[in-house]
Amino acid sequence: MAADRARLGGVLRLIVRAGAPPACASVVIFLLAEALPGDSAVVLGGGRATDEQLARLRAAAGLDRPLAERYADWLAGMLSGEPGHSLLTGRPVAELIGGRIPVTLTLAGAALALAVPLMALLAWSAVRGPRPLRPVITGLVVGGAALPQVALAALLVALLSAGWRLVPPVSLLPVGVPAWSRPDLLVLPVLTLALPAAAYGAALLRGAVADAVSRPFVRDADLRGMSATAVALRYVLPAVAPAAARLLAVVGGGLVAGTAVVETLFGLAGLGELLVSAIGGRDLPVVQAVAMLATVVVGAGLTAADAVAWAVDPRGGAAR
Amino acid sequence: MMSPRLSRRISAAVAAATLLTGCSSGGTDTAASPAASPSTASGTASDTVRYAAPGSPSNAPRDPHGLLPGESDLVRMALTYDVLTLPGPGGRTLPRLATAWEPDRSLTRWKITIRGDATFSDGRPVRAADALFSLRRMGEKAAENFGRMEMFDLDASTVLGATSFELVTEKPYAEVGKALEGATFVVPEGSTDFTRPVPGSGPFRPAGGDAQAAVFERNDDWWGPKPPSRRIEVRAVPDPQARGEALLSGQVDLAAAVPAALVRQHAENPSVTLVRRPGATLYPLVMRTDRKPFDDRRVREAVRLTLDREQLLQVAFLGFGEVGNDLLTPKDPTSPAGLPQRTRDVERARRLMAEAGHAGGVDLTLHSTTAYPGMDSAATLIAQQLAEIGIRAKVELAPADTYFSTVWGKEPFYLGYLGGIPFLDVVRVALKPGSATNETAWEDETWHAGLEAALAEADESERRTRLGALQSRLRDEGGYAVWALSDRLDLAKPGLTGVPEGIGFSAGFIDQVALGG
Repeated sequence: MAADRARLGGVLRLIVRAGAPPACASVVIFLLAEALPGDSAVVLGGGRATDEQLARLRAAAGLDRPLAERYADWLAGMLSGEPGHSLLTGRPVAELIGGRIPVTLTLAGAALALAVPLMALLAWSAVRGPRPLRPVITGLVVGGAALPQVALAALLVALLSAGWRLVPPVSLLPVGVPAWSRPDLLVLPVLTLALPAAAYGAALLRGAVADAVSRPFVRDADLRGMSATAVALRYVLPAVAPAAARLLAVVGGGLVAGTAVVETLFGLAGLGELLVSAIGGRDLPVVQAVAMLATVVVGAGLTAADAVAWAVDPRGGAAR
Repeated sequence: MMSPRLSRRISAAVAAATLLTGCSSGGTDTAASPAASPSTASGTASDTVRYAAPGSPSNAPRDPHGLLPGESDLVRMALTYDVLTLPGPGGRTLPRLATAWEPDRSLTRWKITIRGDATFSDGRPVRAADALFSLRRMGEKAAENFGRMEMFDLDASTVLGATSFELVTEKPYAEVGKALEGATFVVPEGSTDFTRPVPGSGPFRPAGGDAQAAVFERNDDWWGPKPPSRRIEVRAVPDPQARGEALLSGQVDLAAAVPAALVRQHAENPSVTLVRRPGATLYPLVMRTDRKPFDDRRVREAVRLTLDREQLLQVAFLGFGEVGNDLLTPKDPTSPAGLPQRTRDVERARRLMAEAGHAGGVDLTLHSTTAYPGMDSAATLIAQQLAEIGIRAKVELAPADTYFSTVWGKEPFYLGYLGGIPFLDVVRVALKPGSATNETAWEDETWHAGLEAALAEADESERRTRLGALQSRLRDEGGYAVWALSDRLDLAKPGLTGVPEGIGFSAGFIDQVALGG
């Protein structure tokens, strides 16, 4: 009975976890976007429109309607898959977003593919690596996690592009060519995204790994003379899996957020660049739709992480 | 989170682009050079010219009559649609779709004749009705195009025939040809839905692209000089540094408006050509003439006498430009010639301050923004220079977003922005009596009456003289101090020809570009 209840509770928690954040996020995103000083009318007026002209532009865009009414309209639109039209250009928001998903997906996917093994390697070697190297690796991890992306990008450009001339410092994709077909143009953006993410993840994962290896059964296995790899796979991995899965979701979310900086720096037209520009132009429907999309993706990642934790340990995994 | 530096660069690009093209209606140097020699057979890679221009692909409009936020947007429209007239060398207006514009004796009714051989991409001929319809659309969207059509009474204007229409002005207006320059993109009559591309009759036709780049293919039916390139790719790249780097790494063939520091770094680089457009940008010091202490003309004069223009040019624009002479539009053909350069005279400035009752100095806030490169350092330096005459100016910086809503046209003392636009455009956007956008509160009745009279003067040389005299008075008595003008710096692949040389709208007409060899 108790186990059933725990199981049911776990499932319910998963559902609530999956549903509540987007619902809350929708309110927060809507209000934050609204709270930006100025609006699209000011942008359209080029800074030189009169107050009457601005009022007309606001009315045309529906910006003069009550907040609650606009939120309800927007939510209904989002739920029915019709996120509206850009306030600046009248273009459908879905079209703007659709054209940018491939670039961001390629970028974030490649960065994740690089960051995950790197994160595991760093966390593991900070705890179980050759003893003299451990403080060095820990230092690298902490330093890497603290390094702003802009600084890293400048460093990488200076080294790989200006210095060794391996790759170009910007990444304008040729027209009609998918991003993944030009790996040379992806090197800098992917490294800029992946390296701090891996370091950040490793910094957090290091503790979990250290906890796991200090458990009696791991020490016992060590004493029995089991190989390090076997210990890692058999005992440490299951012990850190829930933490790692959640960390992965957070790091993945950070990667999605990081595309805003990286795409703009390297001249890639992805979702991050879209978000940055839309905020600059106070293009609320675009800002809100992109932010919502990112929230849903990150939320889905966290839910998946919960599912992993729950699968590993149904009694406490989801709560740990 | 984004670093302040990056967000600054991003907003700078966005904001700079906003005013650059929005306010620009006509450069004064040259137009797209006509009749470039047609290139060889099509199909080779060098038949494509790739252009990285300021702008953001995310706010790229399809409507040519509203705000064109970036140069890339102007370029796309200029390839797709025909305009009525173009700014030409020496301030001359060149015919484009319009072949003639003739006034009646009163200068209020103008007969505009358009060429009869232009066709839209859907095969329909371009008629006078399409042209007038397009001007009316611009009139309706006045808030988004800086009131570009406000001198016209578009309701009273009528179509006369297939190739001519009568354009009625609100008041006698001798500069109708100029008023039609650059932005008058002609779309088919009845076009209302601009969320989808609307047919144009321009030198190129849109041929797809992706989120960032718009691809254009030559319109072989175009009436004008055959464009030498078969294909032009226009990329909107917001970051100036990224545009420059894209050119340097061979990803584009022409990069517009790149940072001065990058140009300096590659001054000796043989694999790039620098295109310099003088007088493209200025950051005038704005002093509201209806607020203390600037309501006293002596204080305004003292400020103008104190600025160290050369030092400001070096610091704000890294020397890529020229010192200002307090004229807002020195590249306009009507700009008064032969005025002596204003020089520094701190002694006289101190005397003027004392006469104005400020011997003990005055405390002020000087507003500036991080949105435009060098504008923040210019403000700091101006504050230092003004300290010499007892003006204790505290510099306050605003980001681009709030600069336009809280500083521009509201504060009494700040650095403004003008994108090298002609005199009559400056009048429309910043000197109109009674308007909220009259940032210096320049309400001088004789001056405005003089302007009206000048525009009612049919004789061109007399008109120029009068307009010049008005600018000269504004220079000495108005609320602006123009300390320097910066060049626009483009980088091009060596051998690229047909790059337009003028500032403002002329820079957007790139239909004759071609890669040499």
